[in-house]
Parts: sequence; structure tokens; C-alpha cells
Amino acid sequence: MSAQQDAIKDTLAVKREPPQWRTFSKTYWDATREKKLLLQYDPRAKRYQHYPRPAGIVTGHRALEWREVTGKGEIFSYTIARLTREPFAGHEPFFLVLVTLDEGVNVMANMVSCGMDDMKIGLRVRPHWAPLSNGTHLLMFEPDR
Amino acid sequence: MAMHDVAVVGYAETKIVEKADRDIWELQADILESLLEKTGFEKNEIDGLILSSSMTGAGNAFWSQTTADQLALELDFCQTVDIGGCSPTGALARACMAIDAGMCTTVLCLYADTQASEANRQRPRSAFGEWQQPTGYLGPPAAFGLLSKRYEHQFGLDFSALAKLAVAQRGHAVLNDLACEKLRKPITIDDYLNSRMIADPVRLLDSVMVCDGASGLLVTSKKNAEKRGIAKCVVPVGYGERTNYRARDNIVDITETGHLPAGARAFAQAGLKASDIASFHPYDDFIIAIMLQLEMLGFCKHGQGCDFIHAHDFTHTGDLPLNTGGGQISAGQAGLAGGGTNLIEAVRQLFGEGGKRQVKNTKNALVTGIGGIPYGRNWQSSVVMILTPNA
Repeated sequence: MSAQQDAIKDTLAVKREPPQWRTFSKTYWDATREKKLLLQYDPRAKRYQHYPRPAGIVTGHRALEWREVTGKGEIFSYTIARLTREPFAGHEPFFLVLVTLDEGVNVMANMVSCGMDDMKIGLRVRPHWAPLSNGTHLLMFEPDR
Repeated sequence: MAMHDVAVVGYAETKIVEKADRDIWELQADILESLLEKTGFEKNEIDGLILSSSMTGAGNAFWSQTTADQLALELDFCQTVDIGGCSPTGALARACMAIDAGMCTTVLCLYADTQASEANRQRPRSAFGEWQQPTGYLGPPAAFGLLSKRYEHQFGLDFSALAKLAVAQRGHAVLNDLACEKLRKPITIDDYLNSRMIADPVRLLDSVMVCDGASGLLVTSKKNAEKRGIAKCVVPVGYGERTNYRARDNIVDITETGHLPAGARAFAQAGLKASDIASFHPYDDFIIAIMLQLEMLGFCKHGQGCDFIHAHDFTHTGDLPLNTGGGQISAGQAGLAGGGTNLIEAVRQLFGEGGKRQVKNTKNALVTGIGGIPYGRNWQSSVVMILTPNA
């Protein structure tokens, strides 16, 4: 299992294209300029949701609020990406995680400052914002030590 | 849905190859010609065409019409089914619906993709680009890595059980002349366990290899089949389909799939239960998907798949023959038409034409599909179909 012992890398140096937002997700990306995490909240269902959708996933209604949250949560599951494409080539192996935020949504992201031995399902994490070339930031996570 | 009034009267398959050196329409024409020769139908008797999704056709919003024009088919019913790997089995279900509704009489279900040599997937309009691509998420291997880690956390995961499924399927591919040649070499449990990690704990030998190939079915009303004196046919007796299982929940148990409701519906229609199933042809993009489906369909309890696998024999002579042509993992995945490989093998077995890999019990066969991988979940569409020979 020598592959298991390869040092895990973070993906901070990857030159990512800023994602193309949609009309209903622009508010999310705009807030990341100030490293703020906004989640959609459906007041009828009293539920958060992520990723941003054009309508409430429970009610189908469009009157959704944006609420700022801490971004703290815990690892729901993880994998180690060992096969990559540009622009990630050379940055493998790295973690891909699903994080359950305390507000009850799952978020897919990368990890920073987290070694192979640190990683486990249930690990508490907090946000780490990685800058993108257009001034927005990409949400990543680091252990909440 | 009166599916049992419909008969599958013929099946056809090309060889699965690493990269097609012929055009996709030529592969489709091979399937059409083979079906006409096998069934004695004339081309002008085909009045319905249902295509599965195709990466090669993905850039063409008029895919079914254009293909019908290439094959010069005049039709009363024409469509493409776009539920990913569920499309081939979903197409057969829709053929039954169209015939039952009186929209047409005889349907060509045509499954072809040359994704390896010609992918025309332009800018896919999905959540992928905005929410997944920035993480370096490569699609299915990563999704199954996340799923497998979660399964391991909840239930424990015995990789030697998964290895047993991989070895059984590979043995079947060795017996299948139409399987991709590169994959027709036996493997051992150790080969599986030692194969390199792709997305931990998903290994190379857990994964499908994208290939090119085509397959198809000719479907007509049972009445028409009887009128023509066709004795040998296969009848769908149960079908269930579920897209976006638990879509309204933010967090779902990713070890539970839409095959749970889809399977319950298919079994209820067929009046059968899991222990009645004679051969099992589940959609297999990753080995663990087979185990999850065993659990969801009620062959064993949720979380007990590994024990079930150790207790049963999945070879073609065993008590639960599994993907007897090798499945997609060992025969090669013919792009988005890959679900046709599981389906056509089930039909072939019920026709009694399995040759060296013929199963003994041909009372029925169960086929499934898996289609699409959404954000943070397992898969988008799940289908389950139970087939019987015309008894």
C-alpha cells in the first residue's frame, strides 16, 4: 500500500478558471469576494439548501433568502483523487470531501492543512477561502483545531 | 402498464472495441440489419425508433430524427431517452408503453455510442462546471470513492467480497467473444486487491473502461409476434424507474439508492421476489454498485452485501449468475449505450443462446440501470426490469 503513504497535497496552487455563475447563483459568488459564505434558505420549509437552486427544493417556491453562515461542519465522506486532468495535473493526490455544514447541507470541496492521518469521517472543519482570478473565492475546508 | 402484451423478438450486438474505426451510424446499421435477418421482419414494418443517449450524438439536438433519416426509417414514434446509463432499459420500457398505447406496432430500440473515438459533448449544462469542476472532481470515480468511504464508515467494507464479483465477471468476459479483447484475461482476487487506487478506496479493477459499441432490440406486440408464428421471444413483466431519489432532502444516505423504490415496483408488477430471480444483470460502472443493488433489491439487508457475496456463487453455473457476458466492467463500457450490454445479455440468456456461458435457470432475468451522477449523491436515475421468456 505504498501509494497510501504518498504525501497528500493541497490544491491551492492550481490555476482554476473562476466558475460561470448563473442568474440565481450570482449572489453566492459575489459574497465570496469578502470571504462570506451565503446559503439559500427557504422560509416556507425552514430549511437551508446547497448548491444554489432556482427554487426551494422542498416547496418549489422561489422566494428564497440568502443567509450568512459560519461554514463550520464535519466530514461526511472523502476520497483521494489520484487521476486528474488539467489544471490539476501534478497536484495529485489530493482530498475531495463532502462536508456536512452545521446548517444541514452537504458541500463538495478540497481540503488544506490536512494530512492523511488527520482525515476521518466526522472530523470538524472550518472554511478556508482560496482566491480566484476574478476576485471571488473558492470555498475549501481545513481542520477546526 | 400492460407490458406483458409486448414481446422482444430479437436482439443484436456488435463487438465492443477500445476505439471504433467505423462511424456510429454504420454500427447502428449493423444492428438494424442483424435484427431484420434474425426476426424476418421487413424494414418498413418498423414504425417506432427509440435511441439511448449517446456522447457521439450529444451535440445534436435532433439525434433521433437524424439517425432515423440515416437509416431511412418512416416512423409513427421517434425519440431519444436521456436518462444516462438507464436509457437502454428505459427505452425498452418506453417501447412497451408506445406499443401498448397504440402509437406504433414494432419498435427498434437502438443503443450505440462511440464515445471513445468521437465524443461531442459540448458544454454540458449541469451543476458540474460551477460546483464540482473547481475541486478537481473527475466525475464517477470520485463519486464512487466518496460513496465507498461512506459505506465503509457505516457498515464496514470487505474488499475481498468486491474482488469476488470482479473475478466472476471477468471469467464471463473470457467466454464472451463480443467483449473487448483487452479485458478478456482472467483475474484473481489478489489482482483486484493489488490494482492501483484511482479514488480511494476505488481501484482500477473496480472501474469500467470507456469503449465503443452498439446493441439493440426489436420489440413488437405479442399479438403480432403470435400472428407471425414467432415462438421465441422475451416479455418484460415488471419495471420500475426512479429519478432523483429523495431530491427534496439536502443530505441523503448515499448508500441507499433509487433501486429501492424502483425494485419494489418491478417485483410487485412481476409478482416475484428477489429469491425468485434466476440470473442478475445489474448495471455495473463500479463493482460496489453491484453490491448496493443486491441490498436495495432485497437479495440481502442493507449493509450486509459483503456477507451475501461470500455466501453465493455468481458464475454462470452458480446459484445467482451475475452479468454473464462480463458486465460493462469486464466487457467494456460502450459509452452511454453501455447499459445495453447488461440488457442484451439478459435477453440472450432467456433466448437460451448463451452458448458456453448459458445459465441453467431461464425462468426470468433481472436487469438494472444507473444513470447520471449528481452533486453529493449517488446517482440520478435507477431502473429495474424483470424479463421472462415467452412461456
